[in-house]
Amino acid sequence: MKLFKKQIPLAIVFVFGLVTLASYYVPHRTSEEYLDVMNSWENIVSAFGFFLGLISLFYAHYNKIKRKVDGWGYSLFVYIGFLLMVIPAVYSNGKQINPDASITWLGWAYRYIYNPLQATMFSILAFYIISTAYRSFRIKSLQAFVLFVAAFILILGRIPVGQMIWDQLFGFTKVTTGQAIDWVIGVPSTAGKRGIMIGVAIGAIVTSLKIIFGIERQYMGKD
Amino acid sequence: MKEIMHKLLKIDRRYLFVLLTLSILIPIIKPLGLPNKSISKDVQNLYNFIDNLPAGSTIICSLDYDPSTAPELHPQATAIVKHAFKKNIKVIVVTFIPGSTGLIDELFEKIPQQYGKKYGEDYVIFPYMANIVAVLTQMNSNIYSIYDKDKDGKDLKSMPIMKGINNYKNISGIVNITGTAILDIWVAYVGDKFGVPVLGGVTAISQVGYGPYLQKGQIKGLLGGMKGAAEYETLINEPGKGTSGIDALNVAHLLVLALIIMSNLILVIFK
Repeated sequence: MKLFKKQIPLAIVFVFGLVTLASYYVPHRTSEEYLDVMNSWENIVSAFGFFLGLISLFYAHYNKIKRKVDGWGYSLFVYIGFLLMVIPAVYSNGKQINPDASITWLGWAYRYIYNPLQATMFSILAFYIISTAYRSFRIKSLQAFVLFVAAFILILGRIPVGQMIWDQLFGFTKVTTGQAIDWVIGVPSTAGKRGIMIGVAIGAIVTSLKIIFGIERQYMGKD
Repeated sequence: MKEIMHKLLKIDRRYLFVLLTLSILIPIIKPLGLPNKSISKDVQNLYNFIDNLPAGSTIICSLDYDPSTAPELHPQATAIVKHAFKKNIKVIVVTFIPGSTGLIDELFEKIPQQYGKKYGEDYVIFPYMANIVAVLTQMNSNIYSIYDKDKDGKDLKSMPIMKGINNYKNISGIVNITGTAILDIWVAYVGDKFGVPVLGGVTAISQVGYGPYLQKGQIKGLLGGMKGAAEYETLINEPGKGTSGIDALNVAHLLVLALIIMSNLILVIFK
């Protein structure tokens, strides 16, 4: 059993991990054909993964409804939302616009259910931001002050009226909002972002190598 | 006075919500009409890139945003597509976000007619695909191995727009409009690897994070948020939802700044 549960999966990961990694750097036809095959496999596995995720989601919410846990009513909306989109999608054969340019059931569901719901969810963020900006943004340290100055420049630079205010307040410096924003984005922000990107990339490389060489085995489960 | 000020600090958040609503609603009902004066370097670079492409070139527009980020990104996509059509550039549309398919349909409902463009000749819409990395890699060897039909199930190879298009070698540039990290994937798997110029349009909040790519030329040009859309609309001389949207944001942005300054001043003066 150990052979099937441990050694064979580890061997598969080792061989395919190394070959796929190498193929990224080998511009040869065989390498490209190999990648094509792997990509097709990946697509098939992803499709199964999606299906598995859907079943898992439904099962989790079914249990919540069955046990009547706090907020179980919201779980009903998982099914309602799913059906509201899937039934029109099946009925319209996945098309949102008819050949005569009128919208199908799916097109209607997308425009008048999915679209406003998504937009509303995201719009609510603005209300949280305004509340947090007033009640929680306290300039008590040098770091907080630097953050405020950066926010001040970026917010003013984003709107025409801000540009007018900037010109009135700092016009004597001959620096425009565009130049100030370019400096904030190009110097301190990019330096920080680049450091984070390099750190994340090194972390990803190390984790990948650990998986390829069988040091990291958590993905195999506990058995 | 001190007590009043401290009470003001603890004001019910619903009053703030009303203030924000009014600050957005009033400019929508009665626009301020302030001109967008500055054009940022990255927006200008994107404009120049599209503008300098010879007529008949083909670009891929990867439109990967859903309704949550559409107010910022839809005007960007609209402006770029309009510019491409004006310059007689062919547009291939792809997407890796299932929620963007309806927005793409909306986008191409009216714009092509305005410029006399025909589906299958001047533009084509590919179907949604999952697993972006696999798709982008595979498109380099043969586009048709992953996309053999368009979004309506019509054969792609027989369409006039696809004549001579087999892989990235036949593509002049990629414009990715997204509210996700998909632009990073285009850069890593297509721009850097196969040398295709990558350009982007992102939300204002994520624009700042693309500094490293812009500095190294991995992204040739970038639109950031509604301001980016408004700037591009100014450049192509077609005011649209970016221009009107930035007008509505004027007061709301100032309100955020004013509230931060006010709350901190109250704390400092009335300690």
